[in-house]
Amino acid sequence: MITFSINDKEVQGEEGWTVLDAARWHGIDIPSLCHHPCLEPYGACRLCVVEVDDGRRTRVVISCMYPIKDGIKVMTATPRVNNVRRWIVQLLLDESPNSPQIRELAKTFGVTPSRFKKSGVDFACHLCGLCVRACHEVVGTKALTFGNRGLKKEITSPFHVGSKECISCGTCLYICPTGAMEKLFDQIRAA
Amino acid sequence: MKTEGQIGVFLCECGGKISSRVDLPLVAELLKEEPRAHLAILPYPCLAPGLAAMKSAIQAKKLDRLLIGGCSSRVMKKRFPEALASMGIERHQIDFINLKDHVAAVHEASPQELAHKAAALVAGGLASLNLLEQYEPVSLPFDGPVLILGGGVSGFAAARELARHGMESILFVKSLSPERVLDELHQTFPGCRLFCGDVGEILREVFAHPLVKVIPEQPIEYIIGGVGDYRVGLKQGDGNVTEVGGVAIITALDREFSPPEIGYIGGGDRVWTMQDLEDRLVEGHVQPGRVVFWVNSPQHGQAAQQFAAVAAWRDSLLMARENPQVKPTVLYPANITLPLTGADLVEARAHGVSLQSYAPELHPVVQSGYLSFVSPGDHLEHEVEWDTLIIPGVPSDPAAKAKELLRWLPIYPENGGGVLKKSHIKLWPDQLPDESLFFTGSAGGICDLNEVLQQGKKAARGVLHLRQKALENRLVSPVVVHVDPDLCEGCGLCTEICPCGGIEHVKPGSGAVPRETDNHLCSGGGTCAATCPYEAIKVLNNTAQQLEARVKAVVGRMQEHEILSFICGWGGLSSAEQAAVKGLTYPSGIYLIPVNCLGSIDPSILSLAFLNGVKGILLAGCTPTHSCHYHYGVDHCWYRVNAMKKLLSLAGLERRRIAVGYVEVNEPDSFVRMAESHLDALEKLPPLPRDDRTMAKLWAIHATMHRPRVRWVLGTSLRRPTEKVFPGSQINAVEADETMLDVLKEEYTVSRILKALSDQPLSPPDLARVLEEPVRTLTPILTDMSKEGRIVTKGWEKSYPIYALGKA
Repeated sequence: MITFSINDKEVQGEEGWTVLDAARWHGIDIPSLCHHPCLEPYGACRLCVVEVDDGRRTRVVISCMYPIKDGIKVMTATPRVNNVRRWIVQLLLDESPNSPQIRELAKTFGVTPSRFKKSGVDFACHLCGLCVRACHEVVGTKALTFGNRGLKKEITSPFHVGSKECISCGTCLYICPTGAMEKLFDQIRAA
Repeated sequence: MKTEGQIGVFLCECGGKISSRVDLPLVAELLKEEPRAHLAILPYPCLAPGLAAMKSAIQAKKLDRLLIGGCSSRVMKKRFPEALASMGIERHQIDFINLKDHVAAVHEASPQELAHKAAALVAGGLASLNLLEQYEPVSLPFDGPVLILGGGVSGFAAARELARHGMESILFVKSLSPERVLDELHQTFPGCRLFCGDVGEILREVFAHPLVKVIPEQPIEYIIGGVGDYRVGLKQGDGNVTEVGGVAIITALDREFSPPEIGYIGGGDRVWTMQDLEDRLVEGHVQPGRVVFWVNSPQHGQAAQQFAAVAAWRDSLLMARENPQVKPTVLYPANITLPLTGADLVEARAHGVSLQSYAPELHPVVQSGYLSFVSPGDHLEHEVEWDTLIIPGVPSDPAAKAKELLRWLPIYPENGGGVLKKSHIKLWPDQLPDESLFFTGSAGGICDLNEVLQQGKKAARGVLHLRQKALENRLVSPVVVHVDPDLCEGCGLCTEICPCGGIEHVKPGSGAVPRETDNHLCSGGGTCAATCPYEAIKVLNNTAQQLEARVKAVVGRMQEHEILSFICGWGGLSSAEQAAVKGLTYPSGIYLIPVNCLGSIDPSILSLAFLNGVKGILLAGCTPTHSCHYHYGVDHCWYRVNAMKKLLSLAGLERRRIAVGYVEVNEPDSFVRMAESHLDALEKLPPLPRDDRTMAKLWAIHATMHRPRVRWVLGTSLRRPTEKVFPGSQINAVEADETMLDVLKEEYTVSRILKALSDQPLSPPDLARVLEEPVRTLTPILTDMSKEGRIVTKGWEKSYPIYALGKA
């Protein structure tokens, strides 16, 4: 049994739990975009950052992958954490301004589109990869993948060709947090 | 084998997403009377702390069945079984009720009202889990040769791969020597024989190998059995049938090319088909001059044209190499892509082979010595000079050999055309065991010789994989479908309508023997179980009894104005859940029960729901024919609903109480509209009357749905996997429908008579009064029933017999 604290409240957990698991179990909400309980932690969005004091120093870490340890002190909403989250939301908002989740977060953190905003961009997809990972891990097919790199990164079928692997189960549609998959779905599925 | 279960219920708060909309403590309170050993409300059962809490509950209460009321079973179906495997909990021991997407997120009603709905759905899950049965998987032997049927060239590649790995095979071929096979290769692969040098090597190795038994093709009388024990009956010249056994079957079928129609061109000896050319090339005649290959016949599709163009390119390269005096040109339509590499083009140029495209919308014109075509580049008519004009062959329909095999294997012509496909059922990969249906060759799609050989090799690898598993004692057949040999009368209806090959064939002429199943092929679609006239088929952990119990439990907790909805696990479920994700809402008076496929719903389930007092039923499934994952599952459901409608109107109830809707995987808006529309339509109707007269009628409807004669007639009218005709466009649709109606009417009356006689013995006039039918319609039925011994004459009253139940 591991004893540690979240927001000054002493809690207990077991070997192998992450900080995010423990916090949510105790009713403390930590925002996240790319985390889903049915998938392995991915650590892409960095939005679930928390401040962890392990006795020697404090660090900002991502809670979805950070395992709980004896005696650590976790703070989920310090100014330092909020500052990191605000910057992440800022960049995400410029990257995918139409995602309802990100707009919601922007409202919470008081973020508006910045000077980094690309012109003419209206993506709803913020590339959390939930659909790709669900297709691989949950369904067991590989009908979806990331295509291209950097600014041109996108969700697509392998080789940009309608995927014959797709079994039309709709798991990607269900797991997509922004509804972007609804528009992509027919391109990805083989006719 | 049934085990008494300890069921644990775990309700998820989902971080407030469920608990804020559904009063979960009230749900727990409402479920107090249900058979359950444990109930807990957890913040997040799916996260590590939640799983730990579940594990300790499983250990403390010795739970062996779990019901999780949380989110979609589709995303969670791996998470829980994987995490709880150490506690001995398997996939089928967990039932998911989607409280988030079927209740919490889609309705605007109060948390207390939604708690009642949630409790009803959970109670249904409990009733179903309570009837869970456990079957031990069957270990399969895998000892013997592999049968390679069909005579396709890929069979040789498969046989070589098997022989090299020390596995025996029996190869059925058209010609009995490597040379003969090579000589005939151009019938299926024009242009390839002279190019693919290693084919000859494969053939020689196969013919000489001691592990390969090459025997001449014989007409196939039957193929029976399943993985590990296939038996093929071969018809001999003298009319006798000999049987050959094998552990697996590889079907190697190639599509033949027939000579194109060139009579209209004329030109006598100067215009050849590709076959003519190949024959001459074998003899070594390569005449000098300008040779033009004209790739034509757009009606056979671009794949065939591409194939023809490549074949033409190969032959022209060969001719140019043999005799530099030959100047070949390949004229191909511009709308196909030539699968040639840069190196190929360089080689073509080096040998003076010209590749020329023409605009496909303008048909080239043949003249004496010239062929004029329009170039897609400059839209100008050009002319190419020829001394010999060659027209490539066209793919022909599946050969007689193929048709013989299709009768026994789950391989079907795609869209009624010449291309054959394996049963196209698309499932979650974890729903199917190892691949055991091997189909190779160009009959499945026109392709190159090299690719076909690869397919053969791959099929052999699949067989070797099965053998490896068998050696490690891991080759087990999951029990998906089970036929009760005591109930089965061997009518064979299930084999006929089974699209996946899960129900084995029996030897022709062997009479009514109970069917067996090949669970390696079974897809669990369940239309066989819903069709069986004697209700002898069970789909494991998805039985009609389980669904019956679920429907009873759910309907028992519904209010009289609410309706039941069955949604299929693909289009219906996906769209319903996506409606929740999208934030759409619909009235809470519709209770969703997901099933694998609508085709698995036994007709008696529909009548049972009405008997239990449901006001109406909506069935939402995929669009028939092209998106049903089980061939015609949803189509089969339509026939059953149709029968239900007829029975409702016979009983004087409204037909529109039951309706089928079609929705694709990505259509949440349509699903919501469908649900609202059906609810609206039913709002104007009163709830189902609960008086004795109506109840007796509903009882009779339910009994009618169980009657073997009704189920038989229903089963024979279902669409078969090979059929393409829609119910509405069949011949004599009205007459067929009326025949069905007559049978239903008669059996419905029989059921009503039995119901009336179960209360008290009655004479025909009294019966007529009770049933409100004229005596003259009852008399013949009563006479028949009495002759069959289903009712007996207890006494006489005013020269009328008094009938009663029981045997004489």
